[in-house]
Amino acid sequence: MGQRQVTGLTHSVSRRDFGRHAGAAATLAAAQAFAPFLFVGCVPTGVPSGRKPIRVGLLHSQTGTMAISEPSLRDVELFAFERINATGGLLGRQIEAWGPDPKSRTDLYPKRARELIDWGAAALFGCWTSSSRKELLPIIEERDRLLFYPVQYEGNESSAHVVYGGMVPNQQVLPVIDWLASPAGGGKKKIFLLGSDYVFPRTANFVAKKYMATRGMRPAGEMYLPLGHRDFGPVVSLIEASGADCVLSTINGDSNIGWFNALAAARIDPEKMPVVSTSIAEDELRNILPEQVAGHLAVSCYFQSLPTEANRRWVEDFRREFGHDRVTGDPLEPQWALVHFWREAVERADSLDTAAVRAAMREGLEFAGPGGLVQLDPKTQHCTHYFRVGRIRADRQFDIVYQSDAPIDPDPYPQIAFPGWSCDWTKGGITRGPEVSIDGDI
Amino acid sequence: MFAAAAAAAPRHGTMHNFFWVYDLPTETFAILMIAVFVGFYWAGLIFLRPILRQFVKNTRGANDIVGYVLSCFCVFYGLLLGLIAVTAYQNASDTSANVTHEAAALSALYEDVARYPDPYGQNLRWILRDYTRYVIKYAWPLQRQGVVPVDGSIRVQAFQEKLLDFQPTTPAQEILHAEALRQFNTFLEHRRMRLFSVNTAIPPVMWYVVILGAFINIAMVWLFDMKFITHLLLGGLLSAYLGTMIFLIAAMDHPFRGEVSVTAEPFEALYKHMVEE
Repeated sequence: MGQRQVTGLTHSVSRRDFGRHAGAAATLAAAQAFAPFLFVGCVPTGVPSGRKPIRVGLLHSQTGTMAISEPSLRDVELFAFERINATGGLLGRQIEAWGPDPKSRTDLYPKRARELIDWGAAALFGCWTSSSRKELLPIIEERDRLLFYPVQYEGNESSAHVVYGGMVPNQQVLPVIDWLASPAGGGKKKIFLLGSDYVFPRTANFVAKKYMATRGMRPAGEMYLPLGHRDFGPVVSLIEASGADCVLSTINGDSNIGWFNALAAARIDPEKMPVVSTSIAEDELRNILPEQVAGHLAVSCYFQSLPTEANRRWVEDFRREFGHDRVTGDPLEPQWALVHFWREAVERADSLDTAAVRAAMREGLEFAGPGGLVQLDPKTQHCTHYFRVGRIRADRQFDIVYQSDAPIDPDPYPQIAFPGWSCDWTKGGITRGPEVSIDGDI
Repeated sequence: MFAAAAAAAPRHGTMHNFFWVYDLPTETFAILMIAVFVGFYWAGLIFLRPILRQFVKNTRGANDIVGYVLSCFCVFYGLLLGLIAVTAYQNASDTSANVTHEAAALSALYEDVARYPDPYGQNLRWILRDYTRYVIKYAWPLQRQGVVPVDGSIRVQAFQEKLLDFQPTTPAQEILHAEALRQFNTFLEHRRMRLFSVNTAIPPVMWYVVILGAFINIAMVWLFDMKFITHLLLGGLLSAYLGTMIFLIAAMDHPFRGEVSVTAEPFEALYKHMVEE
């Protein structure tokens, strides 16, 4: 030993040599062996890093009769979530949304809601028709989730699990009756109530009739047609025969196409008998020929043509993202506000827990949106809104012909229609009055 | 977002555990593969070689014998690696071509429906635009994770519903409608093929053979009788190249995963055109 002995194919080395070589190799091998663990810490590409995302559910029909309206709501929600994600997310987490299609079928909304909650949705954003919202109530109450509902509706409801972003009758239907009866509105006295046959039109018109009675007015007529109904020729004849000088329309979905088509076919002059729609916005107007609808009116809390800088920026951003010919409108603007209310409440609560988020909302929230300042009323979980009347232009936009001086506070239970009923979630919730039958008298 | 609206990624047994490498930058992935192979070779040189050398210790001309066997082995192994590399490249290339075809069909369909009278034309264009945006923003990140996105089908159904709702009233419209339907079917075919290719990959069994072959290759080099430093250097170089080859195959495998993957570029170019027109 000590000397290298070459014997055929083998050779031996000194202990010192072996130790030196082994030491060098072991160091290199150790460095190589640990390399993977070092590389594992490198920043991955293409996959968001960090904590588990916050999941939210979107419930909007993308096929069927409501596909005329609801996909834009989904888009504005995604737009809002993408913006939040781009600015660091919520509670340091990204927001992940999923929007299965309820296919405009009321019976599918609860099924989809269950799927979303099972998936882990912390909150739900969605619905358009009141019937779909009402179908969800038992599920969101049982599973303790919040639904952020953006559309104007009939009131007569207050769930602690719903945040209502749209107008209620005291913010929309009642002011429009006042406006129509005023000289600015043409002093209309014979109002025909026409609506789709579901809970919103029936209840809204119930409230409208009660209010008209207090003003010594009676509706010229009242009629309801199924959602998706297209043949309005006989309806127009009936309205003409009633002597109505105005139609208050609560028709929803693509029935509006047939409705305005029939009006145009009957050569109804909007100056003489305007239709005032509660559920027509810029999005719906795209589907109606301008010459059929120009000159008629719509009542809303927001119009895209609102001449404010905040609105101009919002519309521009939305169009840059989704295309130059896309339009905003009501209820896109309220839904935009609702997403921001949810975000602020979650941040204040520092939690996704429904009770904690609700408690944060009850401190009162406000948001300077494109349509002006919106406040979330902690008593009712409804929003304050400006009342605006727009006249439809040939370019499918609106000329704003009237705007309330200040936002109107929400009252889901107008006393003229629901005496004794009120809601104050800061003081125990709903106070019940006598049962009210919508189809009949109190 | 929209991650839940996706079919779960199929598990490829133990291969599934290595998908995290696709989240690494390409150069890091390459260095990692080389490091693993060289490290394994060097570690074996120290700890396993003394044991393996016992088998050829007293064999005359052992280096020559090992050299012959290694050459023979390398022919088969090289062929295997070459074929697998070609397959991986072909998969990636086919997927890329199919994505381009889907975007082209989508573009043609978009132009076709632009000739429809409004509101049909505008509604149809909006849905196609929405579909394109979804593919770029939501479907692609899912595909990169090996998840088949299924929410696009809602947009496709919405488009189909609106397309079939249109009743042509003139002979020109009839021709246009027939062409749009034909283009829609072409688009559907390519879309379906893209979804099928999300989990296109070299079968796990082939990977096992590749890894086993690499191990045998390295083990044979351990058997050579050389100076220790020469062993470290030559064997290290061979191992580094083996690692590079296997990195190449792995990087091209799973066409939507990793930096070396099919991108949404055709859809992005189309969407830019759609929103700016």
